[in-house]
Amino acid sequence: MRIRKLLAATVTAVTALWLAAAPVAAKADVLDDVMKAKKIRIAVAMGIPLFAFVDKNVKATGSDVETARMLAKDMGVELELVEITNAARVPTVQTRKADLLIATLAITPERKKVIDFSVPYATLDIIVAAPADIAIKGYEDLVGKKIGLTRATVNDSLVTKNAKGAEILRFEDDATLITALVSGQVDIVSSQTTAIAAINERRTQSPLKVKFTQQELNLGMAMAQGEDRLREWVNKWIKTNVDNGRLNAVFSSFHDRDLPADLTSR
Amino acid sequence: MGGSFTVNHFLYLLQGVGWTVVLSALAFALGGVAGFGVMLLRTARSALLRRISFLYVQLIQGTPLLILLFVVYFGLGVVGIELPPLLAAGVSLMVYCSAFLGEIWRGCVESVPRTQWEASEGLALTRWQTLVDVILPQAARIATPPTVGFLVQVLKSTSLASVVGFVELTRAAQVVNNSLFTPFLVFGIAGVLYFALCYPLSRWSRSLERKLNVGRRQAA
Repeated sequence: MRIRKLLAATVTAVTALWLAAAPVAAKADVLDDVMKAKKIRIAVAMGIPLFAFVDKNVKATGSDVETARMLAKDMGVELELVEITNAARVPTVQTRKADLLIATLAITPERKKVIDFSVPYATLDIIVAAPADIAIKGYEDLVGKKIGLTRATVNDSLVTKNAKGAEILRFEDDATLITALVSGQVDIVSSQTTAIAAINERRTQSPLKVKFTQQELNLGMAMAQGEDRLREWVNKWIKTNVDNGRLNAVFSSFHDRDLPADLTSR
Repeated sequence: MGGSFTVNHFLYLLQGVGWTVVLSALAFALGGVAGFGVMLLRTARSALLRRISFLYVQLIQGTPLLILLFVVYFGLGVVGIELPPLLAAGVSLMVYCSAFLGEIWRGCVESVPRTQWEASEGLALTRWQTLVDVILPQAARIATPPTVGFLVQVLKSTSLASVVGFVELTRAAQVVNNSLFTPFLVFGIAGVLYFALCYPLSRWSRSLERKLNVGRRQAA
């Protein structure tokens, strides 16, 4: 009997703790917290070529990382880079493990249900590529073929939805995907144009050719839902710096192309 | 982008080794303590305790460590319980190890002949005295190889902690490979480093087996 009482007490205590802790989720304004702490935590997904990667001295760099540095500097606060994996991007924002996320995250209706986005700060073309001798014109040609992509990306959901019957190999991040292509584990890929260049640099036999464009994605910075003051600040910052060309300068220094002119009004 | 493997990259991998060691140590220490508790419950006299701990072991053994990490770090975050990454990883690894170690040790304790328990009872030893002074010394010898085998596995499983933000050895290798695209070199080095961590554990297991096997040691 004593054991049963003890158990009942434990269950009650845990439930009470749970309920007591729950309201913490709806806490004070993040922008205020950032200003007070003089520090902003920005999440970046290390492992996306040209957007976020390490340089020769193993320091984080790339267009996302440099954009984060510029934003923190303009805000007048210290930057704490939160380096995460691709699959952890949305949960990191949802659970406020970072104040802001700049991690090549495309603005999609599904994601908007759980997190908030800024206006677009960059774009990304996602494409299907394969060696010249494989004929692919659209999703229907992928049926019965092996295609590699990075999990938890728009590539993943588009291919899963449109190419039913294709054998999809999902890799943890772009780097692993690229490694698989370079080592010949898979020949057909759904990725971004810049990754194809990195692959072909090392895949000299049967280099990949772009077969068709799946979609042009608008990338947004992401924050937890209801942080309207932070979102407004970020939106204003993006618009100002797209207009004065600073964001484009950072972006084109890594990607060799310019941001579209109508970016922030999309 | 690109470039070749430098000393900097190697130092970065060594930093990753540091995290792998810290996470493994946490898993061993916390998991060992909790696993001992699970073992006690699994061999308890009360059928209720045995059943509850059985369900716990089944539940945890049937859950991938990755899912545990996700639930503890992000799942608890959704309901407002904030755990720092190190604590989240520590708790997940503890829970994961406790289920496996508890079950391994239960088997070892139960493999000690029943007559040992009966003899102890005949000597009027309490249940605790029997366990500590009679059963465990014998069970420990049986337990060494499977325990160390499991610990070596856990050491390698700590790579999953990258999902909560740790740049441990595997993640460090991924990050380096991501800028160099030389998988065979980078992951080859990571593999050698893992071996350098695991091999001493296996050696230690061997020497421990010899030491614990005093009664039956044969002249070499």
